[in-house]
Amino acid sequence: MVDKKIVKNVTSIIEGLGKNENPETISILEDVGTNSKIDAIREMTSRALVKKNMHDSLKVVITNKGKGINDMSTVVAMSTINELLSLDDKSEAMKILEDTVEMHSDEEVRDNARSVKALMALS
Amino acid sequence: MANLSIPSIRERLFNTSKHETTTQRNSSNPFAASSFKGNVLTADVFESSAKKNDQPSFTGKLKASALVGSISGIGEKFQNMINSVVSFGHRMKDSVVNSWNKLNGIEISFTPAKEKAVSIYNSVKDALGTSVTDLISSGVSAKSVAKMDDMTAARQLMADSVAAWEAAV
Repeated sequence: MVDKKIVKNVTSIIEGLGKNENPETISILEDVGTNSKIDAIREMTSRALVKKNMHDSLKVVITNKGKGINDMSTVVAMSTINELLSLDDKSEAMKILEDTVEMHSDEEVRDNARSVKALMALS
Repeated sequence: MANLSIPSIRERLFNTSKHETTTQRNSSNPFAASSFKGNVLTADVFESSAKKNDQPSFTGKLKASALVGSISGIGEKFQNMINSVVSFGHRMKDSVVNSWNKLNGIEISFTPAKEKAVSIYNSVKDALGTSVTDLISSGVSAKSVAKMDDMTAARQLMADSVAAWEAAV
């Protein structure tokens, strides 16, 4: 059982980095958070990146295989999609999804992007 | 025949002791006891005068005396008010200190009271999602991270925390 204090610290750090406007926080979240072996950490990190609603942060969770909407964990993928659907301004996310559908080299990533794009168009 | 000029009436009104013996008295006057020390006005002093110069003047010692008297009266009232406020403050302070001392001196031995105290603590703990001790001992807050400028430190903090979680699994 993980100590509550550790969980709280990680949660606070991810939440804080998500709110921090420094662009370098995106690479910190990507390098440390989305590569963690803990599903909960990857989930929190993906959601924080989506909430930033910036081109680079959205690109991490949309175009990378094994991260965000393409994560192996269904919980992480669904949670990221849910966060994308909750965005007030979806324009940047839609643009990246369109580019991914049209240009990404990996078929699975393209398919996932297409599905999420369809969901976002409906929402 | 009495002198009914305004100055003379004023002299009578405000220097009663001087004219006490020569002033006409009328015991049937119902205001005799309270008005002008028993002196009764034999003419209408409020009758309008044609001459402005005949108006009684309240300059000099009389006015100054009245003014000083009123000021000293106000001062006394304020002093009483302040004293009452100060004494109220002292009473409140004494009351709080006494209550605190009593609380410190009381040991809760009544079982329902103990249970109630534990229940309140647990309610607070549940409401906060974590224990108060954990909250106090926890040094990292989302707000502080959101304001961090040193990204190297932020990266290190994130890496250490994630590593601690992964190690615990």
